Amino acid sequence: MRGRPQPEHAPQSCAHPVDRALTHTSMTRTLTLLLIPFVLLLAACERPAIHTERMLAFGTLVEVSIYTADEDLARAGANAVREDFEYMHRAWHPWQPGAMGRTNQLLAMEGWFSVSPSILPLLKLAAELEAASDGLFNPVMGELMEIWGFHGDEEPQAPPEEERIQEWLERAPSTRYIELDGIRARATRPGVRLDPGGFAKGYAVDRAMERLMDMGIDHAIINAGGDLRAIGQPGRRAWRIGIRHPDGEGVLASLELQGDESVYTSGDYERYFVHDGTRYHHILDPRTARPARETRSVTVMHHDGALADAASTALFVAGPERLGEIAGRMGVHKVMLVDPDGEVHMTGAMAERIRFEIDPAPTVHIVELSQ
Amino acid sequence: MTRADTLVVLAAALLVGWSYTQFWGTLSTPGAEVRIVAGGEEFARLPLNTDTRLDVPGPAGVTLVEISDGAARCARSPGAAGICQRSGWLREAGDMAVSLPNRVLIEVLGDAETRFDSINY
Repeated sequence: MRGRPQPEHAPQSCAHPVDRALTHTSMTRTLTLLLIPFVLLLAACERPAIHTERMLAFGTLVEVSIYTADEDLARAGANAVREDFEYMHRAWHPWQPGAMGRTNQLLAMEGWFSVSPSILPLLKLAAELEAASDGLFNPVMGELMEIWGFHGDEEPQAPPEEERIQEWLERAPSTRYIELDGIRARATRPGVRLDPGGFAKGYAVDRAMERLMDMGIDHAIINAGGDLRAIGQPGRRAWRIGIRHPDGEGVLASLELQGDESVYTSGDYERYFVHDGTRYHHILDPRTARPARETRSVTVMHHDGALADAASTALFVAGPERLGEIAGRMGVHKVMLVDPDGEVHMTGAMAERIRFEIDPAPTVHIVELSQ
Repeated sequence: MTRADTLVVLAAALLVGWSYTQFWGTLSTPGAEVRIVAGGEEFARLPLNTDTRLDVPGPAGVTLVEISDGAARCARSPGAAGICQRSGWLREAGDMAVSLPNRVLIEVLGDAETRFDSINY
């Protein structure tokens, strides 16, 4: 016997002889209690959150939101998107030195040349998209964009002279005037200049999202100036997306995205200038060589970014009258168009997903898709 | 349970409460800082509670960022359309102004509780 056993509730002082077993039990309990907050602290550190990075790339504002508990992974993901976008922007810029700029120089010479491997898939895709849209999406309007002054960072001050517009219309550039033979190509008439701005951003968003998925990121949004793709979901809820009202900065409608979905919007508010009281925007109708006038904005949902990007431009040009026909031709089933009166024209499949955020809700016309 | 045990439990509870506010809570002040990005890089990160003016150089010229009364704004920028200036005073977390010609992004940092994860425009 070492002495009188200590009652269990007695202070566990080291200065007094105590029962070894009881001391051990009490110390274990104390240590456990001390460990609990540290375990909880660690749990707090690992709680997933949405990490959002904004950057300027591809000539627009790019927002990358990644839902993860690993902040370093989120930062690495955003940096990877930035690097990919900067590379693609340099390679595909139609007016600056790079693969696309060089391709345009060689097309202007109207002789055979070998197409850069980074441009060849874009060239083929451009031709397919133009054909699918019945020519309303025209990926070789680079020269017309330059005539209007929408090719640079600065906004133009006045519309071009009528003579220049007519000259362009007479040439009527189209991918039909680019002959392809394996990896070789040539333009068969002047004025054919690729401007991949109408679909390359969608293509780039898809490539960047693939990069994030390769890095092990399962829940993310990439939004590049209205070209948005979302994968996964942030926790137990869906991603919530607002669609901008074409009249201002507010939100017209909202969507919930889950799994892997893309939303693309083209609007007349993105780039424009006002001259003598008339507003001129950058979405040009290849049939008139002037800004399309039947539409304020178009929103398309589709899993293929390049197709959705091109379709949003083609449907903007098509206007409400040909909305169902062109959407059907291009194979996009979820479409919403806002006309100049603020009325909404959309497919039934889109109506099931859209929730209006303005009161009163706009007048809605349901559009049937042509087969 | 001894008095010491009670004290340990209390200390643990306080520590958990403190850690909650530090890691999960909303006690951090939203809109406390403004981040300025020029080109692809962070150019400056400034507190909103200190009035200042900062010239941010870019490919099209100089964007002037002004901080006053707890808000920041794009006071002057080379873009002809004045889109950067039209964003007005940026006060809340998530508010931002952009000059595309000058490749400048001004955004207020903080944990914004927003209705939408992203805006399609």
